[in-house]
Amino acid sequence: MTTMEPNILDSIPDLNNLKSFTERYFSKRYIINVDGVKNNDIMIMFHSNRIALLCLAPSHFFFSKSKEYKVNYTVGNVNRLKNAVKGKGKKGGQALNPKSVVCKIEYEDGTSFDVPCGMKGTLVEVNEELVNHPELLKEFPDADGYIAIILSSIAISEATKNELLTPEEYLDLLNNGVNGKEDKKLE
Amino acid sequence: MNQKAVIKLCKDLGCCDACCLRYLGLKNPTAYENVQEFVHKICEESGKHAQDTETRDLPTQLSESTAEQNSTHQCPEPPAKRIKVGGICVSCLGVLQEENWQPCCDMVKEVLDKKGYECETFACALSAPIAALVRERLVALQLKHDLLEYDDSSVTPLKEAWKWSFGVRLAEHVGKTLDSGAVSPLLITLHMEYPDELQELEALKALAPALFEARRAAGRRFGVEAGAGGATRAALAAAGVAGGAPAVRARCVSVACAHAPLYLAGRYVKLSRALPQTPWLVNGRRMMHSSVQEIIFEPIAALYGLSPEAAEHRLKFMSAGREDVDVRCLGDGRPFAVEVTDPTRQPSEAELKELCEQISVGGQVVVRSLVPIHREQLALLKKGEETKCKTYEALCIKLSHSRDDLAEGGGDVRVTPRDIAALNAYRNTPPGDSARVQLTQRTPIRVLHRRPLLARARRILELRARAVPAQPALLALRVRTEAGTYVKEWAHGELGRTRPSLADALGARVDILALDVAAVELPWPPAPDDKAPSDQ
Repeated sequence: MTTMEPNILDSIPDLNNLKSFTERYFSKRYIINVDGVKNNDIMIMFHSNRIALLCLAPSHFFFSKSKEYKVNYTVGNVNRLKNAVKGKGKKGGQALNPKSVVCKIEYEDGTSFDVPCGMKGTLVEVNEELVNHPELLKEFPDADGYIAIILSSIAISEATKNELLTPEEYLDLLNNGVNGKEDKKLE
Repeated sequence: MNQKAVIKLCKDLGCCDACCLRYLGLKNPTAYENVQEFVHKICEESGKHAQDTETRDLPTQLSESTAEQNSTHQCPEPPAKRIKVGGICVSCLGVLQEENWQPCCDMVKEVLDKKGYECETFACALSAPIAALVRERLVALQLKHDLLEYDDSSVTPLKEAWKWSFGVRLAEHVGKTLDSGAVSPLLITLHMEYPDELQELEALKALAPALFEARRAAGRRFGVEAGAGGATRAALAAAGVAGGAPAVRARCVSVACAHAPLYLAGRYVKLSRALPQTPWLVNGRRMMHSSVQEIIFEPIAALYGLSPEAAEHRLKFMSAGREDVDVRCLGDGRPFAVEVTDPTRQPSEAELKELCEQISVGGQVVVRSLVPIHREQLALLKKGEETKCKTYEALCIKLSHSRDDLAEGGGDVRVTPRDIAALNAYRNTPPGDSARVQLTQRTPIRVLHRRPLLARARRILELRARAVPAQPALLALRVRTEAGTYVKEWAHGELGRTRPSLADALGARVDILALDVAAVELPWPPAPDDKAPSDQ
């Protein structure tokens, strides 16, 4: 064969249309005004394999505050940092439902807010890095600042994905204010 | 022992000539090729040498005395025949009787003609009626009863005698050489059934009812060992197990021919970034129109005339690990093997070369050589998957300024000579350690749905960075890693789940744009050894 030996340099993509790690593998979905609290907005990123990442939506009121904060994974008497899963089936992971609080964001002034899960599933992993590096939550909310990894059945994952706001619907709602689609939120 | 007395008694009971030789314990294969002549010879010889002892040996109640007397005159005719011409042997139920072989040979020939094996040798195996085994036991016990010194453990097994007699005849009929199962890859199995089997074995139930019930519950056949094996003659008689003249003979009901699997070994180069290694199905729907496996299978299936359905279960693909759909595998390629079940023949050198050309013609996969290997050598593949180092070429992009860049005032993000130098000097292991980087990888999210969540320690053994001409933000890396290292995740850090990542080494955000496997360090295919395949 006389074809030229392939070289990694023959694989340079169009650098103007690069997708980030998140964009390559995940579909984003949104829930706004959770519990009727304005801009209490969360984002769930679904991997094509149904694994879901819980994140704060860019419209969350969290991003408009500049106070110092900490991420606390102890909710009531459950310490989510102690979550442990075993085997392929992720047995033993904490059970989550849409209203479960995954963590609290606590400000230095003593105020705080809860981050709800938004879907039913099993807690696989929390982002421990946020405990020592809470700034990641603000700097990279859809990447290294993710809050938790959740696994649910294919059925639940698909149903949740279809039920929540798509990026287009989310942007529409943000730009046009609260309109007829407001009912797409936590039951 | 008095051979003639044994033959006489066997004949009286209704055994065929071949079974007579079996009860004599004869293990000389050629004896079974012409049983009648051999039986005759023995009678003459024992007539010459052992006439004195004969009458004493023979139990009076069975002795018809004429045979012994005749033998002293070098009897020209065979011993008294209890089975008439065309009669069925009470022991083998006709399995060893030449007059029953034609239909068997014809059935084998038909299957062989249909399958078209080119193998010039064959081994044959018999699945015999259980009733024949029970009857064998009965005859042996009778011999022991009547001839006190008879060793009932020396009976030549039916299957052996069958191979030596029927097998030789079959060889002539099908034009192949009979060989042992340890040597010939082609095995012909005949299933003989005895129509009266069930009713005849019914009596055995009484001998060990519990054992029979257990076997029946387990869906097993009647077993001779379940009752007749250790039973005494009296017990068998009491249970009503009889070995009278059979009304029908055992018949060949099916023939199975199977050639030992063929294993072809090679290395594949994958030149496409849109080709999975094996068919990629999501909910039964294919995600990509082809795969490395399918491209390699196609000409092999064609060579053996396999339909797509047949290929699906007759061809099996094995490899030392796999790469992602969008990762090329270059250099010498990745070791793999294909198992061909029940091949009609061994491919020639020329055909193997032709297979490689056909695989490679589409330009997505290149296989430079294919060689036949032994089954035991496959273990190397799996071992290679777990233990061998891999070398990768990775194309990465720097996405943010590194700490040093900011000190210089920023501007466009670019890979600086200092970045390259820093990466080439980077290590987080003690000087002298064989690895440059020790890292911890959590199970990547992309496989987390089907693998346990674990934090694995992995090592990068070599790391060499270089700038990319005319692409200031890009860098190319050559990375040699321990088996099991996820290189993409190391490059972008996977949301911080692999630590330290390339980004940590550079002090800037990084992503990976393209990945090639450059080398899989496994010697493959294994050097051919002179050991013949020992498995069937």
